[in-house]
Amino acid sequence: MTTPPNVPIEPHTVDPHTFDDPAVAAASGQILDSAEEVHVGLTLDAVRPPSQEEILRVENLTVEFPTEDGVVHAVRGVSYNLREREVLGIVGESGSGKSVSSLAVMGLLPRTARIKGRILFRGEDMLKMSARKQRGLRGRKIAMIFQDPMTALNPVHTIGDQLAEAVLAHELMPRKTALARAREMLDLVGIPQAETRLRSYPHEFSGGMRQRAMIAMAVINNPDVIIADEPTTALDVTVQAQILEKLLEVKDAVNAAIVLITHDLGVIAGMAHRVLVMYAGRPVELGETDPVFEEPRMPYTAGLLGSIPSLEGGGATRLRPIKGTPPSLINLPSGCPFSPRCPLATDICRTEEPPLAETDSGGHFAACHHWDKLAAAEDPTEFFRTESETVA
Amino acid sequence: MTLNAQATGPDTASDAQGMTIVARTQGQMVRRRFFRHRAALAGMILFGFVVILAFSSIGFAGIPGWWDKTYLDTGALVNQGKPTLSVVPEFLGGDGIRLGEHPFGQDDIGIDYFALTMRGAQQSLIIAFLVGIVGTVVGTVVGAVAGYFRGGTESVLMRLTDVMITIPVLIIAAVIGRMMGDSGAVVLGVFLGLVLWPTLARLVRGEFLSLREKEFVEAARAVGTSARRIIFRHILPNTIGVIIVAATLSVASAVLLESALSFLGLGIQAPDTSLGQLISRYRSAMVVRPWLFWWPGLFIILIALSINFIGDGLRDAFDPRQTRVRA
Amino acid sequence: MIVFIARRLVISFFVLLAATVIMFVLTALSGDPLEDLRQDASPNKAAKIADRVERMQLDEPIPVRYLTWLGNVARGDLGVNRDGHDVATMLGEALSATLQLVIAATVMAIIIGIVIGIISALRQYSGFDYTVTFAAFVCFSLPIFWVAVMLKQYMAIEFNNWLKDPSIPPVVIGALALLSGLIFGALTVGDRKRRLLSFAAGLLIGGALFTLLSVTRWFADPGFGLPLILAISLAAAVGFTVLSAGLNPRGPLYAALGAALLGTVASEALSPLLADPTWLEIIGLALVTVAVCAGLGYALGGLQRRQAINAAVLTGLFTGGVVFVDRMLQAFNGYSERVRGRPISTIGARTPNFQGDFWQMNLDSAGHLLLPSMALILISLATYTRYSRASMLEVMNQDYVRTARAKGLPERTVVVKHAFRNGLIPVTTLMAVDFAGVIGGAVVTENVFGWQGMGNLFIEGLDTVDPTPVMAFFIVTGTAIVVFNMIADILYAYLDPRIRLS
Ligand SMILES: Nc1ncnc2c1ncn2[C@@H]1O[C@H](COP(=O)(O)OP(=O)(O)OP(=O)(O)O)[C@@H](O)[C@H]1O
Ligand code: SF4
Ligand SMILES: [Mg+2]
Repeated sequence: MTTPPNVPIEPHTVDPHTFDDPAVAAASGQILDSAEEVHVGLTLDAVRPPSQEEILRVENLTVEFPTEDGVVHAVRGVSYNLREREVLGIVGESGSGKSVSSLAVMGLLPRTARIKGRILFRGEDMLKMSARKQRGLRGRKIAMIFQDPMTALNPVHTIGDQLAEAVLAHELMPRKTALARAREMLDLVGIPQAETRLRSYPHEFSGGMRQRAMIAMAVINNPDVIIADEPTTALDVTVQAQILEKLLEVKDAVNAAIVLITHDLGVIAGMAHRVLVMYAGRPVELGETDPVFEEPRMPYTAGLLGSIPSLEGGGATRLRPIKGTPPSLINLPSGCPFSPRCPLATDICRTEEPPLAETDSGGHFAACHHWDKLAAAEDPTEFFRTESETVA
Repeated sequence: MTLNAQATGPDTASDAQGMTIVARTQGQMVRRRFFRHRAALAGMILFGFVVILAFSSIGFAGIPGWWDKTYLDTGALVNQGKPTLSVVPEFLGGDGIRLGEHPFGQDDIGIDYFALTMRGAQQSLIIAFLVGIVGTVVGTVVGAVAGYFRGGTESVLMRLTDVMITIPVLIIAAVIGRMMGDSGAVVLGVFLGLVLWPTLARLVRGEFLSLREKEFVEAARAVGTSARRIIFRHILPNTIGVIIVAATLSVASAVLLESALSFLGLGIQAPDTSLGQLISRYRSAMVVRPWLFWWPGLFIILIALSINFIGDGLRDAFDPRQTRVRA
Repeated sequence: MIVFIARRLVISFFVLLAATVIMFVLTALSGDPLEDLRQDASPNKAAKIADRVERMQLDEPIPVRYLTWLGNVARGDLGVNRDGHDVATMLGEALSATLQLVIAATVMAIIIGIVIGIISALRQYSGFDYTVTFAAFVCFSLPIFWVAVMLKQYMAIEFNNWLKDPSIPPVVIGALALLSGLIFGALTVGDRKRRLLSFAAGLLIGGALFTLLSVTRWFADPGFGLPLILAISLAAAVGFTVLSAGLNPRGPLYAALGAALLGTVASEALSPLLADPTWLEIIGLALVTVAVCAGLGYALGGLQRRQAINAAVLTGLFTGGVVFVDRMLQAFNGYSERVRGRPISTIGARTPNFQGDFWQMNLDSAGHLLLPSMALILISLATYTRYSRASMLEVMNQDYVRTARAKGLPERTVVVKHAFRNGLIPVTTLMAVDFAGVIGGAVVTENVFGWQGMGNLFIEGLDTVDPTPVMAFFIVTGTAIVVFNMIADILYAYLDPRIRLS
């Protein structure tokens, strides 16, 4: 159910021969290509590199929702860390717990949620803080950008008011000063005529402009962390590129790290230093972006890579979708949650859930009993070969 | 109820967003959610009980019932016509559980009040249901046609709706009641239904307006499906939830409306009766024979309350968004 | 905006006009206007019939009658009823009584309903929420007339009897204390211990309060007295400040406390004026209050000027309200004696030939309005409660509320600034619909309480198949509904910037 990334607007000239000759690097190569489709200008190489200082650390986070149908195990033991100025990408199918884990960091989950684990912001556990202190971090040190800019802004208040309010929530200052800061931010995110736009209402903005306003709102207090939950999914392709570029630019301006949640592997490839792959509420692969995409060590990641429509191939034959659907988060299968869909699954997979463990290269973690099989294969996506392909 | 058709509806998609999707057909989901709504279930049982009691006790349409007294025959006053129903068991100091000769008592000329109340309940139920059914059918058709065709047809129908809606329900119903009250429950119910459709028409039109823009309708139109088919096969099944809920609630308010009309002397005329008419008839007996006032009131409340609960259960079942919290 | 309203008014006018056709024709067709005369045994039967046929134009077809009626109305003449009485005169007496009832009920239903609905939504799944939900269902299912008869029989008569010796029996005190404990407990969310604590607090407060009221025979000669007024208004000042600004920094709090203090002192200073004011003077005082409090907020607000002004103005008006109620209560004893100890009336809209000062006159209408509005309000109250609860729940789940929280705003601001206003938007559309329902209910309620109001005009007109009084009723109520719709529309446009332009 992964949304296909960036459907190309213009069909590329296709070399039909590359189609029969899947190279190991093909998958990631295509991804990087498609990422370039999005990023017209700024890429990761151009922004300031991350420092070694760790600002956010999530340890063994679990989130459960008791519902009428049973307990939903939305997040099961997520751990990651984030360094200053780093961009961490999180990918995974719909319902894999990406949003829930980020909302947990923001402290925005509904009261019914049962949260366990530790969320350390600069070494301090946010889950143990007083509500007041937690609120002091929210929006000031950790900001969030949501998926749908159409609904994320309050329709009855002006943009200026909603921006200024974000400042006033944490700092006592005259309204005028806050509005001036809001204006500055609108300038920064590239909204023309910022002065008059302050007095506009959200419905007077286009989707792209609203998302820019959301970015402005997120960075207005110079946060250390920005969590962007699918910031471009609701926008059309051309605007997506601009918004992502703006995000990188703004991040540099305020010196923030980003947790970027997306379905779009291309975006991750082009924008994230490291990537975390989630499946059924668990982290299943974590590492530097390039190694993860070039040499995935977990069949699910490989499957994701294989299910991307290739730019060169053009034809549907090249798509190697993962068959089946993600498991119910209420009655999880025993063993590896991916085992019902995994072409490499063996008996141990169905009985024992693999832990997230270091693989052949340093800093590259995967939760799979048989990651070595992937390492041995030439094309990690080949296991997802469709029947028609095998016949041919 | 062809609820399965709803599986293609727009709601399933949006529901899936925040909730764990469990593969079930829409019909099953609706049924499951309804039966989990405890108040709705209680309402259903209560309502069934009242209907069965009303129609089986004194019989209906010539078929005799199990109660041996009628709502027309007078009799000797027993114990000043006080109710003989007793529900307090003897070991608690009561008179034991029994119905007695006249469980609900008698009126001032000795008519058995149980039979009278049952007759009233029958009449009130008949009227309320007819109002609900006729009003729903007319409202749905008007709303659907206006919402689907737009343009001139819509203008005419919606202006008519605007005009009708300007007249408060009780006022127009009172005029109809004055006109049809002595023609019996069926005629009264049908005619009331004929003037009480505008709210539903607006509701259905609103649903249609939003649905007709949806992809699946566009698709049907693009392949040249006829308007009638689109309305009845594609759009209507998706509005069925809204309509059923509105229809149920309209029956509840029709019970109250009918009783208010009868109370004002503008509904069912004596010697036939309805629950509201009984209250009106014995209004001045309040101090001497309060039970003449209590029983019909109790039955009105029981009927209206149980239908309202059923309606609420249906609403939850069809549209769970209201009750669930999304992350 | 003005164009928008003007256009709506023109459309409403034509819609109303079309509705008069329907009403007129249906009324004319609803029975035989000569029915009573046909059974008349008096010798001049034929003359009587001829007379009525002539007056009601019964020899003309209905469309002609309608046009004649319309022509007369256009000239400002509402016509005569079938016995030749001038309908305009009949209307004059009925109008103010009914409008008073209908407006009182609507305003109360809106305010109380919205408040309960919102609290219930914010406390979703609490005991309070469940109770409110259940109570709303019961209210939906109660026949107005039945409630009205019950109220008349039990409330009024029993209450008046009780007033003769207003001491509360211990059992009742216990029950009331228990009730207040339950309310406190139900409003608290949190673990069992917190709920039990609240319950105990409520129990004690309720018990103490009612014991005190009983022992001092407060109900015989009620009133607050200066210290209590001050205490209530100071508490309100804190409450309003918490709602609009929070207690830190102090600026808004000082402004609100100042408003409360000033209001209380002013009420004492203005004693001579308040002894027997007019409505005009009361409105004037309210305006002065707003101005003074706004100034106070401006001066003391500091960086939170806006919030300070809000808090101070609300506190000032609230204090004024408390003073007003206190004066009414003080007048109670005198009034009660004058109506032979039966202040809660069951018949009519006012005590015939009653004359008293401002407060006593107000008490008189309040005493007459109390029960009918209580009966009338039930359904609307339930509707507003349910509606604003649902609307608030929906809004609280919106993305922009999550955004507001993500900014780190305090929950108070999230609710008051972001949720409340959005939650009210759908409620305004309900106002228009509900008002028509209240008018229908008023017809029934007036009937039970024997008011010579508009409802009576309508019912008697309908009973005698006489279109003129029925139409007079309809024009007045129809206009009221149109005006009320207009108010709702304006409110909607004020709340929702999205429709201001179109
Ligand atoms: N309040 C809630 N109550 C019950 N279940 C919830 C709640 N919020 C989220 N969930 C469940 O938690 C799971 C994880 O949801 P989440 O929103 O994190 O997925 P996601 O990875 O962000 O998916 P998407 O890509 O569609 O945004 C889902 O199955 C969802 O149904
Ligand atoms: S553990 Fe087994 S089932 Fe799970 S991903 Fe690895 S190979 Fe597949
Ligand atoms: Mg998500």
